[in-house]
Amino acid sequence: MMDRRTLLATGAAALLPRFAIAQADQRPSITIAVQRISNSNTLETLREQSNVGSRTWNSYGETLIETDWLGDLSPMPGLATEWRRIDDRTVELKLRQGVRFHDGTPMTAEDVAFSFGPERMGWAAAGAQPRGLFVATPGEAGRTPPPEVPAVARRTYPGFERIEIVDAQTVRYVNRTPDPTIEGRITRNTGMILSRAAFAGASSWLDHSRRPIGTGPYRVVEFRPDQSLTLEAFDDYWGGRPPVRRIRFMEVPEVSSRINALLSGEADFACDMPPDQIATIARSPRHEVVGDAIMNHRLTVFDTTHPVLANPLIRRAITHAIDRAAIVAALWDGRAPIPRGLQFEHYGPMFHADWEAPRFDIAETRRLLREANYRGEPIPYRLLNNYYANQTATAQILIEGWRAAGLNIRIEMRENFTQIFDRTTQRGIRDWSNSASYGDPVSSLVAGFGPEGQAWQVGEWRNAEFGTLSGVLESSMDMAERRAAFRRMLQIAEREDPVYTVLHQSVNLMAKRRDIAWRAGKSFFMDFRARNWGG
Amino acid sequence: MLRFFGFRLLRAAITIVMVVTFAFVVLRLSGDPALLIMSVDAPPEAVAAFRTAWGLDEPLWVQYFKYFSAIFEGDLGRSMRDGRPALTLVLERVPATLALTIPALLIKLCIGIPAGITAALHRNSLLDRLVMALAVAGFTIPSFVLGLLLVLLFAVQLGWLPSGGQESWRHAILPVITLGVGGAAVLARFTRSAMLEVLGQPYIRTASAKGVPWRAVVWGHALPNAAIPTVTIVGFMVGSLIAGAVVVESVFSWPGVGRLLVVAVANRDLAVVQCILLLVAATMVTSNLVVDLLYGALDPRLRSGLASAPKGAAA
Repeated sequence: MMDRRTLLATGAAALLPRFAIAQADQRPSITIAVQRISNSNTLETLREQSNVGSRTWNSYGETLIETDWLGDLSPMPGLATEWRRIDDRTVELKLRQGVRFHDGTPMTAEDVAFSFGPERMGWAAAGAQPRGLFVATPGEAGRTPPPEVPAVARRTYPGFERIEIVDAQTVRYVNRTPDPTIEGRITRNTGMILSRAAFAGASSWLDHSRRPIGTGPYRVVEFRPDQSLTLEAFDDYWGGRPPVRRIRFMEVPEVSSRINALLSGEADFACDMPPDQIATIARSPRHEVVGDAIMNHRLTVFDTTHPVLANPLIRRAITHAIDRAAIVAALWDGRAPIPRGLQFEHYGPMFHADWEAPRFDIAETRRLLREANYRGEPIPYRLLNNYYANQTATAQILIEGWRAAGLNIRIEMRENFTQIFDRTTQRGIRDWSNSASYGDPVSSLVAGFGPEGQAWQVGEWRNAEFGTLSGVLESSMDMAERRAAFRRMLQIAEREDPVYTVLHQSVNLMAKRRDIAWRAGKSFFMDFRARNWGG
Repeated sequence: MLRFFGFRLLRAAITIVMVVTFAFVVLRLSGDPALLIMSVDAPPEAVAAFRTAWGLDEPLWVQYFKYFSAIFEGDLGRSMRDGRPALTLVLERVPATLALTIPALLIKLCIGIPAGITAALHRNSLLDRLVMALAVAGFTIPSFVLGLLLVLLFAVQLGWLPSGGQESWRHAILPVITLGVGGAAVLARFTRSAMLEVLGQPYIRTASAKGVPWRAVVWGHALPNAAIPTVTIVGFMVGSLIAGAVVVESVFSWPGVGRLLVVAVANRDLAVVQCILLLVAATMVTSNLVVDLLYGALDPRLRSGLASAPKGAAA
């Protein structure tokens, strides 16, 4: 029997640590001005597929295998401490122990199975979804994900069969077919591990998607769509106490307003900075522009159904009349690297270091145009007004280069991608960007230009050999065979039958307080873990 | 009078239907919400699933018929981004917008009308020229430029006021001033012109010649007659209370109807855009109706015109 004094002492002892933590919590709170927080107004990565969404998700959610965004983009332990191949179709993962969700419950193998299971991914719901999304009535129907969720899941995990629970600490990701990229696919943000119990307790899918209960260093406190997202330090985070007490993402659509918010001290970071604002920020002694090249390349894409562009010689001619160095110097302050074709160094052994983007050679362009018997027929270039940073200015430089080489390419301004893809009039050239979310060409070249890729699907380009090689890249476990297939695919898509040409690697710039020791990663994601705070 | 009122109501209803129909067609022909909301890199299957779920794969006339049928049942549709009823989303933002536009309207009235009257009563004086110079500057400077200038001065340089957001009443000061200055300038110019025209009328001279004090001439004869064009402008300003701050809300990151409209248009969030336009059209039409009725109250000569409407429409 506990006496009164013991009871009081026990109570005081229980309260003391939390009181002490609260008293000692000198951690800063920060405000980040962003153009947009989420395109879909949800925080569920299976629906929020945009670049802006990728800025925040890794603060509240984590995957089994993470990507080293601050380093070389290689895979690194996340909620799984180690993993190994069982066979061509199976990867076994050891779960990290002591991981807790934001509601205080421990992460289990069942939560992993749920996160890849039909309830969240909507596998079973595919094709059976009634008209009308976001059924808001509480209950089972209310938690059915919208129909694009299973579509995104199928695309991200095309051969997924099941998560097999081996024991409390071990799970297996099992594919239906051999797949050399399973580990890479597990790093995708769609595979963040969420609490099964929290999902079951949510009143609707929409409510859950706006307050996901994950394992990240910060938990979602408040999400006001189109306005703000407030995250708070999750002190039970397995990786240690987060260094920032509260992070507030504030939606400020205008660039000038974001800069003003930074300069006036209301914001500590201002994201989505166009390069022409670097000088403005540099004038402030208290602020600086940071940013790095990210795993995304800007491309120019050709529609080979255009009567002139049907001739690969014309497309090759276009690729040689692009002064990539001038674009980077004039518009990107020299910060954007010129990539070696549509590939990234984090491909590791798949990276072809001796491959080059087409050289800038006006004489070669003219020679190819003569060989193609080009007579100055007009080629349309459909353009959005700065959907991509510096898009319009880049297009103007491109046009001048092409004109100097004898190409008659004409800009046609469009308002959105529907109009870019519209086939009622002849399409010609358009802009695009292509990301490699994990270190394998399947994540970019196959995803973008293979038989399931956008260019193929919208009818811009098809190449039978390329299609066959896509299959090799996706399923062969022979590294030498895959490397040779990738090389051949680059040869086809960038030289023999060009469907695109790379312009430069994308750069993500943001402005911040100079006194905050923080590094931008090689993605849009902003890392506020202890490893990236305070130097 | 009843006939006049009925005619105006019918015309208002037709106007609203035309606005909604125009928005319906243009929005659907100029962009695909599936691509805009899900991003261009979304898998084609996901885009197709989205279109099917929202009925965007159906013929336009079927979508139009369903939309209007639903309106008559009080259903203005759901947001494709948000999943919630469009009307709820819009009504949630209305107080924030009114928190800017109503104080701004008061500023317009309190500064614009007295300034216009003063300028007219001191025609060609230094005061008149000063007021008109300020008025010209006020309505020629675009609101986004004025807003940014105010932010640079009061937020960045002096640090007196916040640059954006909606956390406190202090956050409303700069956007209200930005909205108010332009409108006050417009009102000042219109009021001055109307007053000058009235002051030149024979009945003003007659009243002065009969020995009526000048103050009484102005208050009793000039102002009521000069009020008609001013009321027209004020009616327009009242009509734009709900969605009249689109640019200012964007500059100051103020989460009102204007910003919701910008985001909804950019994403082709069809139900939300249509709901906002419906509300704007209804507000504007109602405001115009009230203005029409006010004409009669201000000018007895127009009452007979109202009675013989529709051919004697007062406007």
